[in-house]
Amino acid sequence: MQSGLLPAVLLIIRIIVPVLALYVVWRSYTSFKKGQRRRDPVIMLWDEASGTRFPVLYWENSIGRSKSCDIYLPDATASRDHAVLMRRDEGWVICDTGSKSGVLVNGRQIDGKKVVNIGDSVTMGSTTLTLWNTDAEPVKRRVFTGFSREAASPFKLMFVATMVHLLMAVQGCFQDGGFAPVQFVPFGAVLIMGWGLYIFSMRILHRVSFEIETVAYLLSGIGINLLAANDIDQVKTQLAAMLIGIVLFCFLIWFMNDMDRVAKFRLYIGIGAILLFAVNLLIGKDINGSRNWIIIGPLSFQPSEFIKIAFVFVGTSTLDRLQTKKNITEFLIFAAACMGCLFLMRDFGTAVIFFACFLIIAFMRSGSVRTIALILVGAALGVFLILKFKPYVAQRFMGWGHVWEHVQDSMGFQQTRVLTYIASGGMFGLGLGEGCLTDVFAADSDLVFGLLCEEQGLLLGLVVLMAIAMFTLYARSDVTRSRSTFFSIASCAVAGMLLFQTCLNVFGATDVLPMTGVTLPFISAGGSSMMSVWGLMAFLKASDERTYAARRASKHGSRSGGNPPPTSRGRSRASDPGRRREEMEDIYS
Amino acid sequence: MKTVGFRSIVLYLLLFAFLGGTGYLVVNLFLHGNQWAMQPYNGHIYAESSTVKMGDIKDRNGNLLATTEDGRRLYSESETVRRALMHTIGDPYGYVSTSVEYTMRSKLAGYNVITGLNDTFLNSLGKNMELTVDQNACVAAYNALDGHNGAVIVYNYKTGDILCKVSAPTFDPSNVPEDIETNDAYKGAYLDNTLASSFTPGSIFKIVTAAAAMEKWPDSWMDRTYDCEGFTEIGGDTIDCLNDEAHGSQNLTSALGNSCNVYFAHLATDIGAQALQKKAEEMGFNQEFTFGTVPVSKSEIDLSKANANELGWAGVGQYTLTANPYHMMVLMGAIANGGEYVQPKLTNDLNLFGSLGKDNRTLVSASEAAQLESLLRNDVESYYGDYLFPDGMNVCAKTGTGEVGEDKAPNSWMVGFCSSDATPYAFAVLVEEGLGGIESAGTVAAAVLSALA
Repeated sequence: MQSGLLPAVLLIIRIIVPVLALYVVWRSYTSFKKGQRRRDPVIMLWDEASGTRFPVLYWENSIGRSKSCDIYLPDATASRDHAVLMRRDEGWVICDTGSKSGVLVNGRQIDGKKVVNIGDSVTMGSTTLTLWNTDAEPVKRRVFTGFSREAASPFKLMFVATMVHLLMAVQGCFQDGGFAPVQFVPFGAVLIMGWGLYIFSMRILHRVSFEIETVAYLLSGIGINLLAANDIDQVKTQLAAMLIGIVLFCFLIWFMNDMDRVAKFRLYIGIGAILLFAVNLLIGKDINGSRNWIIIGPLSFQPSEFIKIAFVFVGTSTLDRLQTKKNITEFLIFAAACMGCLFLMRDFGTAVIFFACFLIIAFMRSGSVRTIALILVGAALGVFLILKFKPYVAQRFMGWGHVWEHVQDSMGFQQTRVLTYIASGGMFGLGLGEGCLTDVFAADSDLVFGLLCEEQGLLLGLVVLMAIAMFTLYARSDVTRSRSTFFSIASCAVAGMLLFQTCLNVFGATDVLPMTGVTLPFISAGGSSMMSVWGLMAFLKASDERTYAARRASKHGSRSGGNPPPTSRGRSRASDPGRRREEMEDIYS
Repeated sequence: MKTVGFRSIVLYLLLFAFLGGTGYLVVNLFLHGNQWAMQPYNGHIYAESSTVKMGDIKDRNGNLLATTEDGRRLYSESETVRRALMHTIGDPYGYVSTSVEYTMRSKLAGYNVITGLNDTFLNSLGKNMELTVDQNACVAAYNALDGHNGAVIVYNYKTGDILCKVSAPTFDPSNVPEDIETNDAYKGAYLDNTLASSFTPGSIFKIVTAAAAMEKWPDSWMDRTYDCEGFTEIGGDTIDCLNDEAHGSQNLTSALGNSCNVYFAHLATDIGAQALQKKAEEMGFNQEFTFGTVPVSKSEIDLSKANANELGWAGVGQYTLTANPYHMMVLMGAIANGGEYVQPKLTNDLNLFGSLGKDNRTLVSASEAAQLESLLRNDVESYYGDYLFPDGMNVCAKTGTGEVGEDKAPNSWMVGFCSSDATPYAFAVLVEEGLGGIESAGTVAAAVLSALA
């Protein structure tokens, strides 16, 4: 196929790599979907007066007169958003969300939150509901099963992802017709970190799902092997960042387990973020026109990357808080402060990413198209003012759409090189370490998509993009299954933010959009970016209810002996409530 | 929870935008990938360590014009061939943007969007090219130019095959002169004069003026006579013939043969600026021609501000008029071919866009073509002499001397065609700072036609 044996073998490897990577990305998603619990009611509320049964479908359920409530009460005396029924560690909790007539549990008015047990009655307005175990038969779902009935084993997917890395390392090793075994060092390091996380998560914490970590591992490894082939020295930072990122990932998952803890720290996280920005503005260093670096001794990092995590923390919220505090003013001020700082740093790319993330959170919290429209108009006005008074900002984007007229000047130099080398690489690339794009400034960060496509081919580039884009599908499919709207909103915000950042990076480098200079998640060289992306993955992971299930199940198991079975009132079908309850807990594990 | 779930569809907006952008990028890659990849700065093609082996180029008789060996681009073994065909084949740095190596570089490199620039067997398929040019005719043209700058272009007006395309100043692509940027002798060496330049036409424009007369007086144009005393006064200024030679009473046939300026100046005045401009535009002036993917320099005429004297000078191809050799050649091809010309091409490779564009335009009507042909035939038969050209070629032609002023000798032109089924060639020859139409350009045309005979 190609003159010479080695180039032919390397070309075949480059054809195999995207196929394997695609397999991992696709099977991770389908396995993730298959592992999810069925959408059956967990418990139900029974209106004894009318005989109506309300299935309780979610971990957090709004109750009220408004049709948009999860449990809709056709009762004129109830408030529109009367209460929220939530599942927490201590059991089911009813929470009054500022109703006019209040909430009564077993006839007693509650103040704020109260734990309710099976058999307890809850009065809202003139409706009294009794908490019951569900007796509905599980509904058979028919969904697209993605060409395969069984979920792939996490071990197998991790193994295939490792194969992708191995094949890349082999290519790096034989680049330029030579033999450079040092290329296996970063491969080994990634392998140890990835499998370390696997063993920690699956064997020690006994989690059941590992799909998000597998995809993150796959992408990190692709990025690190790509960078290693082009600059082996620089990859140390990247490996260290991945390690810290994984630790951050585990820490954040632990941190978010306790929702009260999160609520307690939320204010400090917000203040900390603003302070970090302030410090950045004061002692930050200008690198390539943006003051977004802090350099302390040998360490340099971009605070804005970490503030992304804080931004999500501050923005998202549990359902009871969403219902009580409907306006988003607090978050709006915080977001404006963050974006203001970013503009002062002239880091416009990151500012736009924050803005996109802000829009997603604002919409998911308020659901108000009017608010969003108003924000957009405000933003457009702001952009207009900036362009009017700081015309040099517009200068940076002048080449957009005309890059071929600026082949030799700064307005189109990078983009034309990226397009040329993507085209040169074709579908399978010209070989790891053989890229010419490396001679262009920012080839391993802003233009890394071009480098990836030039050396490994457009197909692998597209698989990487697809993997990042599919985080939105993960977030979407978990959105009503997660333990709280806190996680739903956070995971959607993160998935949206990462995809938006990917769009800015890839489309900016290829002249579909103006060039803004942001990193490609997981792939671009940049320690801060790598850490923060792994940190953000924690939100996606936490949104999956299975993440905390194993721990919960064992905790419950140790306790269940002392729990008296709830009395069965009236319904003979629920003759064995103990068994049902067990099943309910099983669903979560 | 339900409402939050519903609101998460906002992510789909982003996902669709992402898919749209990616789709746009991929579609554009498939459409324009070859142009993107084939940039002069592309290290995979032009660097020393390039993995890409550009294909061979041969002439119509199988003579090797360019090949690649050990990563180096090699041209014909003969220096004269290299110089004569430099503008047609190309230079190693891709500066001649109208050359085959430049315009067809993605084919020569064997580029395709699937394997990119990988050197696989897929890429080596069909990367070699056979051109329609005749190496010997080009050498004959180059030698006949005898060091003058100029342009020679000849094609078969029946098939469209370009047989000879030579431009000077030129240089040896295998030994690019070091002073190419500074030495005045190489000024404009990167321009292919046949395609990318236009020159004052001089008397060859009289063909257009004659055609305008035919259109204006279809039945009586041959009876129009003017007296020539060697010079005349139109619009308060003189118009004179070459060397102020008095031609006496002239009709169109004899005036074209004698190239009588006085006659054509009067004729142009009688035709009028508007009608002359319109006819010239019909015949391809001010019009875009494209050769393959290369836009051809326009021939230009603008009589909107011309006074009476200037209109007279325009009628004999002076004033601000310019003419492009490629355009003149297709105009001759059209006259030879009954009014419609066949699109010229450099290769017969069918899968190339270069030969797909059947851009056949009608430049003159069939009856005008026939009348012009007999006039041009009469020029050679009765004035220049058939002895100049190989036997049986039945050459129809018109010479011209375009005055360029600035103390420079005039441009010598000869445009024409062979009215012969065996040798259906149309040609345009321009010699800068030549001795005169027939002396300079005529010699070159004769040399090329002899080489093609």
